[in-house]
Amino acid sequence: MLLKLAWRNIWRNKRRSLIVVLSVLVGVNAILLIDALMNGMLYQILFNQISLSVSHVQVHKSGFNNNKVVQNYIENPGEVEYALNNNKLVKSYSKRVITFGLLSSASNSTGVYIYGVDPGIEDKISIIKESVIEGSYLSDTNRDIVIGQKLAEKLKVGIGDKVVAMASRPDGSIGSDVFRIAGIFKTPSSEFDKLNIFITLTSSQQLLNIPGKVHEFAVITNDYELSNNLRNELKSTLTEDYEIQSYEDLLPFVIIQLDIYKESLFVINLIIGLALIFGIINSMLMSVFERINEFGVLMSIGMKNNKIFLMVLMEAFVIGTAGTIFGVISGYLINIPLSINGIDLSFFSESLESLALGSVLYPQLSLANFVMTLLLIPFISVAGAFYPAFKAIKLDPVNAIRYVR
Amino acid sequence: MEIIRTENLKKVYQDNGVPVEALKGINLAINRAEHVVIAGPSGSGKTTLLNLLGALDKPTRGKIFFEEKDFSGKTKKELSEFRLKNLGFIFQAYNLIPVLTALENIEFSMMLLGIPEKERHERSMKLLEELEIEDLADKRPGEMSGGQQQRVAVARAIVNNPKLVLADEPTANLDSKTGGKLLDLMERMNADKKITFIFSSHDQKVIERAKRLLILEDGQIVSH
Ligand SMILES: Nc1ncnc2c1ncn2[C@@H]1O[C@H](COP(=O)(O)OP(=O)(O)OP(=O)(O)O)[C@@H](O)[C@H]1O
Ligand SMILES: [Mg+2]
Repeated sequence: MLLKLAWRNIWRNKRRSLIVVLSVLVGVNAILLIDALMNGMLYQILFNQISLSVSHVQVHKSGFNNNKVVQNYIENPGEVEYALNNNKLVKSYSKRVITFGLLSSASNSTGVYIYGVDPGIEDKISIIKESVIEGSYLSDTNRDIVIGQKLAEKLKVGIGDKVVAMASRPDGSIGSDVFRIAGIFKTPSSEFDKLNIFITLTSSQQLLNIPGKVHEFAVITNDYELSNNLRNELKSTLTEDYEIQSYEDLLPFVIIQLDIYKESLFVINLIIGLALIFGIINSMLMSVFERINEFGVLMSIGMKNNKIFLMVLMEAFVIGTAGTIFGVISGYLINIPLSINGIDLSFFSESLESLALGSVLYPQLSLANFVMTLLLIPFISVAGAFYPAFKAIKLDPVNAIRYVR
Repeated sequence: MEIIRTENLKKVYQDNGVPVEALKGINLAINRAEHVVIAGPSGSGKTTLLNLLGALDKPTRGKIFFEEKDFSGKTKKELSEFRLKNLGFIFQAYNLIPVLTALENIEFSMMLLGIPEKERHERSMKLLEELEIEDLADKRPGEMSGGQQQRVAVARAIVNNPKLVLADEPTANLDSKTGGKLLDLMERMNADKKITFIFSSHDQKVIERAKRLLILEDGQIVSH
C-alpha cells in the first residue's frame, strides 16, 4: 500500500517527476557512454596489440625477452611444435624469426625489427596482411619485404623499390640481403609501422644464417581469456629452457590501465551519482513541502515516523529506478550504432595512432558497469531522499495541519 | 465511566517571544459514549484544547488522564501508537490523502494498524455501506464535494474502532444542510457504536444540537 501511495504521489506532479526521471536518464546515459568509450578504447588498444604481433601466448628461448639478440633462438623448434600441436587450447601458431637490424634505401637508413614469418600462417595470427594498403602481402618469393607506411615515407621508397636489410649473425658476422618492396601496411599503431618490417621466414633464416631456427612462436587460443591457462599448460609441458608468456605478461601497461580503469569505474558512477543526488534532494523537498498538511494529518492519525520516512524514500526509489531503467535501455540502444560504426576520431588521429588505437573508436559497454549502474543509481536516488524524508518527519503535526501555503 | 479528564490544563504559546496564554487552567471530565461540543469565539482556545486532548501537542502545565492514565510522559512514538489505537481525528479540511480513493483512504488507517489486506477491504466496504457512501468508494477526494470528503473522513476516523473521536470544526467548510447531515452521521455512530465524540464549533446550528456543551472563552471554560 505504501508503494501504491508512493507511485501515485509520483504521478501527482507529472512534470516534476518527469524532469527527475529525465535527469537520472541523462546521468545514466553519461555513465554508460563514458564507460563504453573508456572500455572500448582500452580493449581496442589491447586487441590491436594482440593482433599486431603480440598474439595470445608467446614462446621464446629463456632470456629472449630481456635480450633480443639473434643468438637467443629456439634450438629445437620441433619440440615446441609438438607441444603446441598436442594442446587443445591452441587454435593456430606462427613461427617467427625476430632480430634487430638496419634497413637502408638509396636515400636513408633506419633501425628496425626484422620479422621473418611464414606468410600463409602468419595471417591467421596477425593483421599485417589485412593492413596492407598498397601493393600486396608477402608471397613465397624470397626477396619480398613489406614495411609500414611511416617507414616507407622515411626511406622514401615505394612498391617495387629495393632496400637492403642488414643484421648480425650468431657468429658475429653481418648478414645482408637485398629485398624488393612488395607491400606497404598501415596498422592502427603508427609506432608499430615505423619499427617493424616483414620478410619470409626462409629469407630471414638465410639472412641470419640460422637455417631451421626461429625466435618466437606466436600462439592464438580459441578464446583469449584462456591465454593464461594455455600459458600454464605449456609451462608444464615445456622445460625451463623456454620462456612462455601470455599477452597479459607481455602488455603489462595496457593490463594495468585496464585494471585501474575498472577500479575507477565506481568513482565515475559515484561522481555522476552525486550530481544526480542534488536534483533528487531538490525535487523531493519540493514534494514534501507541497504536502505539509497531508503529512500533518498522517502523523495525527498515528502514522509513525519510520513509515513516513519510508514513504518518501520509496518515491525517490521508484523515480530513480524508472530513470535508471529507461537510461540503461536508451544507453544500450544508443551504444548499438556507435559500437558498430565506431566514432571517427581521425581528428586527433595522430596521437591516437601512436596509442595503437586506430582512428575509429568502437565504444563497448561492459556488463559490470551495466549491472553496477543498475544497482547504484536507484540506491543513490534513495540516498538523495534522506534529507527530504528527514524534513518530513521533523514536521510537527499541529503546525503541519494548520500550515497555510 | 470516564474516558478523558484534565487537571488544571494550561497552554502558553510563544508568539515572537511574547507569551500567549491560550488555555488558562482547564478542568473537565468526559465520559464514555458522550457527545460533547466545545463552543466559543475565535481564538478562545478550542483547537488548542482538542490538540492537547488528542495528544498532538503537550500542555505547558497540568495533566490529561486517558482512561485514568496520564499520558504526559510518553515519547513521540508512543503517542503516535496511542493515537492510532485509541483516537480518531476529523479536521476542518485536507483530511484525506488526495491520491488515494475513499476506500483506500479508509484502508490506509487500517494498514497502519497492520490489519491484513482482505480484512481491510471488507471492513472499509462495510463501513462505507453503513454510512451510505459506498458510491464514493472509488472516487478520489478531488472528485468529491466538501461534504462527501468529510463523511469519508468520519469513516476514516472510526474504522479502527477508536474510543474517542476528536473533530475540530468538522462542519466549518460545509453549508448548513450538508453540515447537518454530517452531524446526523456522527450522532448515529455515537449512538450505535458508543464512540465518544468531542468536537469544536462556533456554528449556532451545531451548538443547538449539542447534548453536552462546553463553552470556552479566552482560554477558560465558562459553562458546562
Ligand atoms: N502555534 C501558535 N503560536 C502562537 N499562538 C498561537 C498558536 N496557536 C494558537 N495560538 C493562539 O492561541 C489562542 C487560541 O488559539 P486556538 O487556535 O486554540 O483558538 P480557536 O478557538 O481554535 O480559534 P478558531 O475558532 O479561530 O479556530 C489564540 O490567541 C491564538 O492566536
Ligand atoms: Mg480552531
